[in-house]
Amino acid sequence: MTTVAVPGKVRPAGLLRRPTATRGFWSWFTTVDHKKIAIMYGVTALLFFVIAGIEALFIRLQLLSPNGTILTAARYNEFFTMHGTTMVFLVGMPMAVAFGNYLIPLMIGARDVAFPRLNAFGYWVVLFGGLFLYSSFVLGGAPNGGWFGYTPLTSTPMSGGFLPGHGPDFWAVGLILMGIGSTTSAINFIVTILNLRAPGMSLMRMPVFVWMMLVVAFLTLFAIPPVTAALIMVFFDRNYLTNFFVGGKGGDPLLYQHLFWIFGHPEVYILILPGMGIVSEILPVFSRKPLFGYSVVIFSGIAIGFLGWGVWAHHMFATGLGPVAITAFGLSTMLIAVPTGVKIFNWLGTVWGGSLRLKTPMLFALGFIAMFTIGGLSGVTHSIVPADTQQTDTYYIVAHFHYVLFGGLIFAVIGGIYYWFPKMYGRYMNDKLGKFNFWTLLIGFNLTFFPMHFLGLWGMPRRTYYYPKGYGWETMNLLATIGGFIIAFSTLLFIVNILTSRYRGELAPDDPWDGRTLEWTIPSPPPEYNFAEIPIVHERDDFWHRKYTEDDQGRLVRIPSGGAIDTPAATTTGGGGHEDGNDEGHGIHMPSPSYFPFVLALGLPLLGYAAVFKDPWILAPLGVIVLLFGMYAWALEPGSE
Amino acid sequence: MEQVAIASGHEDHGTVTGVANTKLAMWMFLASDCLFFGAFISAYLLYHGRAGQAGPKPKDVYSIPFTSVTSFILLMSSLTMVLALAAIQRGDYRRLRVWLMATALFGATFIAGQIYEFTEFYRHGLSLSTNLFGSTFFVLTGLHGMHVTAGIIWLLTMWGMAMQGRLTTADSERIEVAGLYWHFVDVVWIVIFTVVYLVPK
Amino acid sequence: MTDVQVPEADHELPLLPGEVKPHPSPFAYVIIAVILCVITALEVALSYTDLADGVMIALLLTMAAIKFFLVASWFMHLRTDAPVFRRFFILGIVAAIILFSIAMSTLHIFSP
Repeated sequence: MTTVAVPGKVRPAGLLRRPTATRGFWSWFTTVDHKKIAIMYGVTALLFFVIAGIEALFIRLQLLSPNGTILTAARYNEFFTMHGTTMVFLVGMPMAVAFGNYLIPLMIGARDVAFPRLNAFGYWVVLFGGLFLYSSFVLGGAPNGGWFGYTPLTSTPMSGGFLPGHGPDFWAVGLILMGIGSTTSAINFIVTILNLRAPGMSLMRMPVFVWMMLVVAFLTLFAIPPVTAALIMVFFDRNYLTNFFVGGKGGDPLLYQHLFWIFGHPEVYILILPGMGIVSEILPVFSRKPLFGYSVVIFSGIAIGFLGWGVWAHHMFATGLGPVAITAFGLSTMLIAVPTGVKIFNWLGTVWGGSLRLKTPMLFALGFIAMFTIGGLSGVTHSIVPADTQQTDTYYIVAHFHYVLFGGLIFAVIGGIYYWFPKMYGRYMNDKLGKFNFWTLLIGFNLTFFPMHFLGLWGMPRRTYYYPKGYGWETMNLLATIGGFIIAFSTLLFIVNILTSRYRGELAPDDPWDGRTLEWTIPSPPPEYNFAEIPIVHERDDFWHRKYTEDDQGRLVRIPSGGAIDTPAATTTGGGGHEDGNDEGHGIHMPSPSYFPFVLALGLPLLGYAAVFKDPWILAPLGVIVLLFGMYAWALEPGSE
Repeated sequence: MEQVAIASGHEDHGTVTGVANTKLAMWMFLASDCLFFGAFISAYLLYHGRAGQAGPKPKDVYSIPFTSVTSFILLMSSLTMVLALAAIQRGDYRRLRVWLMATALFGATFIAGQIYEFTEFYRHGLSLSTNLFGSTFFVLTGLHGMHVTAGIIWLLTMWGMAMQGRLTTADSERIEVAGLYWHFVDVVWIVIFTVVYLVPK
Repeated sequence: MTDVQVPEADHELPLLPGEVKPHPSPFAYVIIAVILCVITALEVALSYTDLADGVMIALLLTMAAIKFFLVASWFMHLRTDAPVFRRFFILGIVAAIILFSIAMSTLHIFSP
């Protein structure tokens, strides 16, 4: 293979030598290491979780008693819109990508993802998208049309319409930006999982978490374009007076709902499947049993991925779609409960008869099963169309989705953080504090959201800034608000646990939980290159089978020398003899840090502001220049030097 | 053999599926772009011919001969693109530069035609806000035009690199991936030309 | 698919990574381009005739589909590359068609 004259020596405008630092504060801005990017995603998601949580606390304070006066109607609209938008796009999705980023390469035996710089770019885009979205609070008003932004409420012109000002424009453009980040992550994960697996790591030997992320990546890839289209249409209706949703000109607001929910329903599976993957990793380890029905769990995940595309109009049962459509979607919604239920039974089957260790990660995983099941049960009641017509737009729905997303995803995420923290930092999180964290969260969460089932069935509507006296809603609202503050307290405990454990936690070995998957074979914290030698995989849960075999009675027997991972006999080849200081003489060549993911990502919010403020003279050209500069510089620099 | 986690397209011998990372990524992107354009084409079809629309209708503004010519030019640009790929795969760098520039020029001609068409329509009273036709037509074809423009910039960049002698047969995949994007943009236009311009009512 | 003998492969080149058959030769590309032009001319001519709407739409869509197929198979190398690419692309196309058809049908796109 001929070598091309290295273009990396040419620098646009002669500045910027290639960054080389992989440690230190500034290295975070140029890193392309999937583990560091994952941590940035995770920290960002946690910060936004706190912010969105504070927004929720304000909502709960406003609803503490009838005719509340904490928030004006306008502010209330902003707060519930931003709470939902933040939780979905700046907490749920980034947290899933955080876990995916950290774990996928480790679990498949790879050194990094397929496109390290694209990985970093995806993170910066999401961060800048979130900052862009929140800048709206001080730039004329935050989005206030609900997290799903129904038309024509959001699409009437920005001056003179229902929602004047820039709020919904920030929302539409912000989501488009974040969608770009999500799409790049999805592509990266798919190519990584398909192409970078270690020898012997066939698809059916991959950990369930990796499979779930593969399904999620496909869902993301195909779900984001329709919503991007919808958001562009809303933006154009608002700002350029197009007629996509203008009833008076023949437009149909329901077109928006279709496009949004074609995205929106797969989106909820994008949110929950990573949680299901996490739980599928934790339960076997803390039951000392393999996952019950591995293949079935995976195929159920794939089935959910497919069926999830066929249920979207269950969010539209009350819009007058007609009996054929609602019947079809009602049936498909009932159907999708099946693979979900299958998974739940498989998790129970995993735990049943296992030798349980009820450490904090396990508590959260078990909590997930219970809470998600409750949420799933209320979900099934929504599939019955006449019942849903009563439930929709009430707090009953709010209860449902908080049970599946908070009781589901968030519980799994917290459990996952407790579980993988020792790998990331070489220290356990404090288990006693963790248990206290768990119980307070479980109590607070149920106290907040269980009453909402009743409130909804008693008719309390969503997205309404107050409720009057005399409906009998006071007690449940009081309980919910108290529960909300207990959640806040528990969250504080969680953050304290993270911060103190990071620096003073009990030291953890490489394999603190007696794990089953490849990430536990490498040091804690992992070196930059992950594996000193790429492992060869012989079976599912390969690591476990090297540590244990079974005797005649089926009891586990520890293999004395087990735990060493099989590696290729050949010595590792160095790549070009470059030594970044971290490879400890293995001669492993890792992708080099780069400024340009950050730079390129910076161009996007500039263009976003240009669009929102209709500035073709300064912001737009500036954004284009930054974008082009970032792109060219990135394209001209090699992957590693 | 040591697995390097870098995707420059040369190491696809080490990928599990045997296909290069960048090429797989581009196909993933194109699959997703089908849904993007599908949404706008669907909106166009949904609103096409809706009763009660004031303002110009398609028949009033379309010049099928004109659009046929620009469509033909875009179609030919796909040919020049794939000939550019064939050239670099053969190591014929002169033809590579010729065909890359030809593709970019054809693309630019198509865009010029679009711009002319848009201004003509505007002069006939059709704007973004006039009616459903104006909204759906301009947004759909405008977004397509933006995709083409991005492609032209990409092609000119490749041409520039070829002029500097920086592209060799080892870089065929970069041209191939650019070509996939370009052909996709052409294929979308094949659908748009038929569905938007030619289909009656 | 067509009766024209389209030269299949450029035999001088070995299989490139990701290919399962040798890719087409430049001459093949030119033939395909000629076919595309002919079909386009037919489409345009057809649009000027007086056929019934339903018939015209069916014919036009068929011709567009053929052109789509030709570009995707030959220019984008789907017929000579590993199957994974065509599977994902078809997945995207089919998903778009099915999802949007369902959505639009509830908005009465198919009824008068």
